[in-house]
Amino acid sequence: MAGFFRALGKLFGGSKPEPASPAELEALRAAYRARCESFRRLLAANNAALDVMASMEEALRGLKPFGMTFVRGQCARVAANVFQIVRQLSLLTSGRFDALYDKLKEIQARIAPHLAPRSGQVRGPLVLALEQAGVDLADEVGGKVASLGEVARRLGRRIPPGFAITASGYQRFMAAADLQPEIDRRIQAADASRLDEVFALSSALRSLILAAALPQDLEEAILASYRDLEARTGPGVRVALRSSAIGEDALGASFAGQYHTELNVPAEEVLSTYKEIVASKYGVTAMTYRLTRGIPDEDVAMCVGCMAMVGALAGGVAYSRDPLDIRAGRVVINAVAGLPKAVVDGSFDPDVFVVERGEPMVLTRSEIAAKPRKYVCDPVEGIALVEVPEDEAQAPSLSEAQALEVAALARDLEEFYGLPQDMEFALAPDGGVVLLQSRPLHQTEAAQAAAQDGPAGPDVLVSGGTTASPGVGCGPVCVVKKDADALSFPQGAVLVAAQAHPRWAPLLSRAAAVVCEAGSAAGHLANVAREYGVPALLGVSGALERLAGAGDVTVDADNRRVHAGRVEALLENRPAPRNLMEGSPVHAALTAACEHIVPLHLINPDAPEFAPGHCRTLHDITRFCHELSVREMYLAGNDGLEGFSKQLTSGKSKLKYWVIDLEDGFKEQVAGRFVDIGQIASGPMLALWRGMVAVPWAGPPAADAKGFLSVVAGAACNPELDPTMATTFAVKNYFMISKEFCNLQSRFGFHFCTVEAQAGDDPQENYVSFQFKGGAADLSRRVRRARLVAELLEERDFRVEVREDALFARLEGFDKAATLDRVAVLGYVVIHTRQLDMAMANDGLIASLRDKMDKDIEMLICRK
Amino acid sequence: MHILLVDDETEFLELMTKRLDRRNFQVSTAANGADALKLLAGTPVDVVVLDVRMPGMDGIETLKHIKKLTPATEVILLTGHANMEVALEGMTQGAFDYLLKPVAINDLIFKIQDAAKKSGKTT
Repeated sequence: MAGFFRALGKLFGGSKPEPASPAELEALRAAYRARCESFRRLLAANNAALDVMASMEEALRGLKPFGMTFVRGQCARVAANVFQIVRQLSLLTSGRFDALYDKLKEIQARIAPHLAPRSGQVRGPLVLALEQAGVDLADEVGGKVASLGEVARRLGRRIPPGFAITASGYQRFMAAADLQPEIDRRIQAADASRLDEVFALSSALRSLILAAALPQDLEEAILASYRDLEARTGPGVRVALRSSAIGEDALGASFAGQYHTELNVPAEEVLSTYKEIVASKYGVTAMTYRLTRGIPDEDVAMCVGCMAMVGALAGGVAYSRDPLDIRAGRVVINAVAGLPKAVVDGSFDPDVFVVERGEPMVLTRSEIAAKPRKYVCDPVEGIALVEVPEDEAQAPSLSEAQALEVAALARDLEEFYGLPQDMEFALAPDGGVVLLQSRPLHQTEAAQAAAQDGPAGPDVLVSGGTTASPGVGCGPVCVVKKDADALSFPQGAVLVAAQAHPRWAPLLSRAAAVVCEAGSAAGHLANVAREYGVPALLGVSGALERLAGAGDVTVDADNRRVHAGRVEALLENRPAPRNLMEGSPVHAALTAACEHIVPLHLINPDAPEFAPGHCRTLHDITRFCHELSVREMYLAGNDGLEGFSKQLTSGKSKLKYWVIDLEDGFKEQVAGRFVDIGQIASGPMLALWRGMVAVPWAGPPAADAKGFLSVVAGAACNPELDPTMATTFAVKNYFMISKEFCNLQSRFGFHFCTVEAQAGDDPQENYVSFQFKGGAADLSRRVRRARLVAELLEERDFRVEVREDALFARLEGFDKAATLDRVAVLGYVVIHTRQLDMAMANDGLIASLRDKMDKDIEMLICRK
Repeated sequence: MHILLVDDETEFLELMTKRLDRRNFQVSTAANGADALKLLAGTPVDVVVLDVRMPGMDGIETLKHIKKLTPATEVILLTGHANMEVALEGMTQGAFDYLLKPVAINDLIFKIQDAAKKSGKTT
């Protein structure tokens, strides 16, 4: 590049007087333009990289769920942008810092292991007989089937005969149809925060799996196992197919996403039903569950248990401990006549039996519900819901002896596993108890003795029912009847529904509380509510009618009451909402990746450590390149030239602004080191300037003492902010302009901002973008300032995103005059939000500041 | 300006062609890398928007061939399969940029215009 600078010296009246030839001049201009282009691209990539880093930092706080596709996507984005930055710096500096390419690769190699799928290819048998499956094979058959096999093998308890289609079988299927990459691609393309997109994605993924062919070896293995089962039970035996997923118990999350279970399946439908169950991995409930719990999608393998159908007289769910009070020595059984399905999906109220432990066990409570219907096996429909005669509807589903037998089984399972259990059972036609599945019980702290009986308090709208998940929650009532209602379910609302149906589970990460007319603490919805820490009250009769349209209500699940309005006294001791991502594999992957991306070690540009060899993170590389590119473009060139930039003047005053003309940004040829504002031809720069000088800056608003201290404390923690430190960059502001384009990089006081605008005759090409970050006060004040600015800009048509204390605003497609007005608004904002963060603690002050800024900005727009 | 879109997803090609047509770009499409190279051999193209994961020759392989064949043609990688390593490999092989699907059409157009500027075409 030295040659270039010498040539330039010639051009701009350097030491050698002889004039350059026209060809030389043209070559110089082209080289100059290329450098400007490089610099502009570097800045754009710099901003994009910082934007991605901000979004990763925000995600780490775990307020919004995200999956591995997010983590991989952001890592790929930030890497591509940092590469771009390094490439452009290389062009600007003739490759002086190309060592950075290797640094970048090194950092990538350190991040890569955290992004790789954890589950390796399993190479086991495609199918396994149930009695061969035990906990040692949990990686092949999934937790549910493994524990069932273990119970049969080691405890000798009765389970239905059957076999499992293993994780190897699942992977064989996915690999044969090359499904995983396509699934990942579709997940990446969808916006997981929008339920309608999740529904569409779910349906697309399930169709994709259903449409894929099973590989022949897998098909043959399944059919051979089915024939073995027939040989043991009878020809044409009907089977139940149950999911048994692997990889979801990583968190000790006992109740995983709900999958499909298909009962009473005939021989000819076993293969297609297998695919349906595999496809249920992408049910809305299951996908939302994984996302909110940070479980990587590809870590979950769907194993399927295939068991001879038990034509149950009765069945249900038993807890070896009361799920609402784990320390009490009670076994709680929920049972119905017919198949146990009704208990699991909350379709109607079950009988509840409570058995006290001890020798012998004693049945202490039987609450017999009216059960006018039951599920039975049906040769045609698979499963049918049938009416039952009146006298049968009132009869207990279990006799005392049967209840005690079930309780004893639950107790034995707990003892065997050393953990409280949640088991599903059926009563076989011969009266024996058959275990269908068992898993660790999700534990909830005893409903805090908060159950202060006493006056009912203000306006009780409804009361009664069962506490399915303890706590107090408040929000507007949202009645949900069909899937379409679910799509518009607002964040923080109280979910009110007729049944505690599992299909509402995806809403629980948004709900403040749940109230249902039917359902029991044993259902899926109740399980998920406990896991998410959402208060839930089930079996509240009349809830729909009395709560619909009630507006804000406070649900006191502990005392089984719903109050009108917001009852602060009840809400006071509410625990903070659970950070569901914390500690999850996805969160851990992001945390590990971020360690190599986000922290900034290269803080002082004048220190000897400010060098490529000291770059440890992508942020370091970004910072280094930015600083060096600015030096290259604006500061002294190799042979004493003042770079390419000219200092801006206004009449006789020299201003702390430097200008680079990309092409036609000056009205005339400007010689020397200065350019006057009167010589500027760039529309957007003049507009920006108009906004900057329209209203004189009154200095920082009177900060309260705390505001000042906060600034001092902030500065003390961050040497970059020390105003006495003479970094060459601290006091300069840089314009890069052409007639229709302007880019301003500036550091005003403690904050850093970029404005870029294109304003020409074609509205399609016009845009304005604005970015700022930082400040000296503590984070909460800076965040408030960012929000204030966001509001001001949103009202003027900008699309604004605020992440922590960083703000990104963009606008495009406006005509020239309207675009320039918006640029002027940014000029005003850039000047007048300086150090606003100091005053941001005081709400009254914020409001009056906002008013003043609003008026100033309106004046600016009208004055064109 | 002449743009070539390469993607094995026909829906995506149709949608993008329609949108870019509306903005007065001249658009050609190819469903795989081999077809893209054939087309490039006969027709000058300013900017290629290239998928990474395709059956047959993948995007990175195609990119290498394009850069050998017509070095001035700028290539933007646009993929549904985010992968940091592939992103760096693509950039190293001379891709103008690496973007992830879904991409806002305006962002893609800005990127195409910027790439065209580099390849010497401005409108």
